[in-house]
Order: sequence, then C-alpha cells, then structure tokens
Amino acid sequence: MRSANLLLIPALLLLLALPVSRGRYNDDFDDGEDLADFDDNDFAEFEDMNDDPAAEAETAPPPRVSPSSQPEEDEDEDEATVELEDGQDGFDDSETQVHGLVPAHLQNSWESYYMEILMVTGLLAYIMNYIIGKNKNSRLAQAWFNSHRELLESNFALVGDDGTSKEAVSTGKLNQENEHIYNLWCSGRVCCEGMLIQLKFLKRQDLLNVLARMMRPACDQVQIKVTLNDEDMDTFVFAVGTKKAMARLQKEMQDLSEFCGDKPKSGAKYGIPDALTILSEMGEVTDGVMDNKMVHYITNHADKIESIHFSDQFSGPKVMQEEGQPLKLPETKKTLLFTFNVPGMGNTSPRDMDALLPLMNMVIYSIDKVKKLRLNREGKQKADRNRARVEENFLKQTHAQRQEAAQTRREEKKRAEKERIMNEEDPERQRRLEEAAQRREQKKIEKKQMKMKQIKVKAM
Amino acid sequence: MSANNMSDPRRQNKILRYKPPSTESNPTLEDPTPDYMNLLGMIFSMCGLMLKLKWCAWIAVYCSFISFANSRSSEDTKQMMSSFMLSISAVVMSYLQNPQPMSPPW
Repeated sequence: MRSANLLLIPALLLLLALPVSRGRYNDDFDDGEDLADFDDNDFAEFEDMNDDPAAEAETAPPPRVSPSSQPEEDEDEDEATVELEDGQDGFDDSETQVHGLVPAHLQNSWESYYMEILMVTGLLAYIMNYIIGKNKNSRLAQAWFNSHRELLESNFALVGDDGTSKEAVSTGKLNQENEHIYNLWCSGRVCCEGMLIQLKFLKRQDLLNVLARMMRPACDQVQIKVTLNDEDMDTFVFAVGTKKAMARLQKEMQDLSEFCGDKPKSGAKYGIPDALTILSEMGEVTDGVMDNKMVHYITNHADKIESIHFSDQFSGPKVMQEEGQPLKLPETKKTLLFTFNVPGMGNTSPRDMDALLPLMNMVIYSIDKVKKLRLNREGKQKADRNRARVEENFLKQTHAQRQEAAQTRREEKKRAEKERIMNEEDPERQRRLEEAAQRREQKKIEKKQMKMKQIKVKAM
Repeated sequence: MSANNMSDPRRQNKILRYKPPSTESNPTLEDPTPDYMNLLGMIFSMCGLMLKLKWCAWIAVYCSFISFANSRSSEDTKQMMSSFMLSISAVVMSYLQNPQPMSPPW
C-alpha cells in the first residue's frame, strides 16, 4: 500500500510539473499574427516582445532588447542563441524565429532534463530495492520461525507474545519491530524466566546500506537472551566467542570487565577451535561449562558462533554518565546471551535458516545445564569474594558523591522541618515544635561527642 | 533428574509476559539513522524552498525516503508523511518557480 503510493507520487510530479509549464510557453509562441511582421526587418521580433509583457513575466525572462543592442543580447542569453541570418532556417520556424533565443528547456524537451530523469530513476531504484529487501527479510524470518517452531513449542508454554493482549496466549508469530528486526518472546519453562530471540537481519530494504555492505560485508545475526530466576543459576561469569567479539565484550560489558579481567584464553586448551577464545571468572567455571556435549556443539558450529555469555551479574554495557559514576550499582540479572551468525554472509537463503536449529538445541541444553552447574566450596568462596571486592570498589569510588548526596538530604529535611514550624499557626504549638527540634539537635551533638570520646579511648 | 528430561519442560504457571525493553535505559542500542535522516530532510527541503535550490530539494526527497526505510514500526507515520510531503513540495515549488532543468555541478 505504502509502496504503491510512493510509486505514484514521483510519477505524478513528473507529469504535472513539466507539461503544465511548457503549455504556457506554447500558447505564447503560437501566435500567428507575429509571424507576419518578421519578414520585414531584423528587429521586428524584438518589438513584439515589448508589446507582450505579461507573457514575459511568467517565463524565465527572455532578455529585453533595444534595437541597437544585439551583441548585448547574445551575452545575456545563457541557454542557446540562434543567430538568424537572412535566408537561413536551421530550426523550426514557428518557435525559433519568434525571439531568436530559445532556453534549453524548450529546445530539446526531455533530453535537457537528464538530471531530473536521473534523480527519478534513482528514486525508483530505491523503492524497488525497498520492496525486494523487505520481502527477503520477511521470508528469511518466516523460514527461521518455521524451522524452529516445533522445538520452541515443545519447550515453552508461551511462544510469541507482544505484551499487549490481556491474556497470556501464544500469538505464534514474530513481532516485527522494523523491516529488518524481528522479536520472539518465549516463556513458561522450568529453569528460566523467559527467552527473547531477536532476528537482526541486514538492512536489505535500504539501498545505501546495501551499497555500504558491498564495501564491508556483514552477516545476519540471531541474538538470544535467556533470563533466569535466582535459583536457576550459581554465581559465575563466563564467555566464549570469536577473538574480536571477546575483545569487544570485555571492553564494553560491565560484568565481563569487572569479573573477567584476564586476557581471553585460546579455546584450543578445551578442545574447541583456536579461533574461539574464552573469558572466565575462574578455571573451575570453564571446566564446568565446557563439558563434552558443549564442546561438541561448539566445535561443530564454530563458524556460526559469534559469542556466548553466561553471567549472574549481567547489567548490560557500561553506562557512561555525565556526572561521573552512578550512585547505585546497576541492576543485575542472571542471564545467558547467545549471538549467532547466519551462514551465507549476507547472501542468505531461507534454507540456511535450518542450519541454526542445532544451535537452538544448544541453547536449550545450556539452560538445563546451568541449572545443574554448582561451584564447589572453594569456587563459591572465591566468587563471593570477587563480588564483595567489586562492590567495595564501587562504594569507594562513589564515596564522595554519596556523602554529598546524604548531606543534601539532611539539609532538605531540616528545611522541611523549619518550614513546618513556620507554617504552624498556633504560637503555642510553634514554640513546642521548636523546642522539640532543639532537643533533637542537642541529642545528636551529644551522641557525636560520645563517639569521638570512645574512638579516642580505643586509640589509647 | 532423569525424569525431568523425559517429562515436559513446559510450565504454564511460570509464564511471564513480554515487556518491551525501555529505550531510555540503553540509548546506545537505538539506531539514530531515521531521526538524523528526518532532520536532514527537513533542513534540505527548507533550503530548497527558501534558496530555490533544486538539488537541495532532491536530496531532501532522498533523505525522507531513507528515513522511511530505516524507521521503526512503532514510530509515528504522521511524522514520516509530513517530512515526505515537505520534501515533495520543495521539489515541486522549485520547478514551478524555475522550470529550467537542473545543471550538473561539473
């Protein structure tokens, strides 16, 4: 519907703008009686122009000429000059003999508008690409869903939800966020709260993006985010993926940068291809996660794996705030994140979507596995120490700011008290409230003094 | 434990409704292209109208098309349509005022 409208409008534009304006010119030139005067002298044509000011005003003004200024007129004319000589008739009589100066947009009609035609052709090409790209993305999304539907429906009670309907009923279809992003929410399973799958396709509907991708190839991605309840996962942070992805995540992600400070280790030590590297909180975690089946999955589909990230402290990428550090630790959630690359590097066909099915099996397997994975006593202690350390660091860094915030809060309270006392109409009550406030202040000061004395005694 | 693997993992009582992630919390994740293109389109169409530059008007049309192609489905279509109409009107007005063809910059 939209695309039909878009096609219509440029066509309409072209049809309207040009003939209408040209029509006016034709009327002016096809004036039979003017022709009769031209045979007599060279300058008769210029006299006719002076008699007809109305026509001139509408057109790109043909230069006003006085009989003695023919060379001047040649300079004024920037489009085309037709030099009339006696006995010569190179052009069509009715049009060119009228003024001897014919602007280009009347001369060769369509050919002189080649820039405009180019523009409109470009627009049409963009629209065609939009339609084709949109359809391709839609077909890919549908193919993905068709191949994964059975697996998802056998694992989740709710497959597909847009959050708007009153009852929690599976919609059974993807949410389209964009022409290139599709969402699917699945919920209702043991071991997890829910799973959000995002199909992030390339922007095939945008011609600029298509051209940019010719320089820099990219691929479609499937991002899966599984959120877990507190009891579904033990405390650890772990990630595995391509070298580039790991380097980027370690810099960007809050939890990976805090808990996995070491450089990514090559995966070859654990039996997975060398192209993949591992970031882990401690060795025990890696050993626990990388069991045989997991290694098997990863090795067989290494080319499709961009990154896998398990974390009990996930809070998203690092947030840059203007006033320095935020006052509170960001909210964390136990999450499993998977990013898979669709094979084909952009030239994907709907059949390639079937290749992602084993990866979804891996996701389901991981959910169950993480539920069962428990650190031993040492590991748990280490993990708790790590978390305490991170929290302490954070508190230290924000100490000054929190003090300031506490101070402002106290001042606010005092001011509110004072205002209340002021607003009290009854003078008796006012006096009593004031006295109460004074007593409280006194108590506070005494307490502080006691504390100082105690500290001094202890120091001694 | 093995019984769990055999039985159905689905739990009707554990269903959680979908909550669209709020974009205020992660402004970095949002694609700014449609907003920039919209703004550019408006600027170019204003330039085209005021300064009577044909190429400005044509670029404005392109910008509004690109903005439309990259827009999110949750976005207001009225805004898209208005920027689109503005750029079309800039082109039409430039040609009505000066029907000569556009000259290439070279």
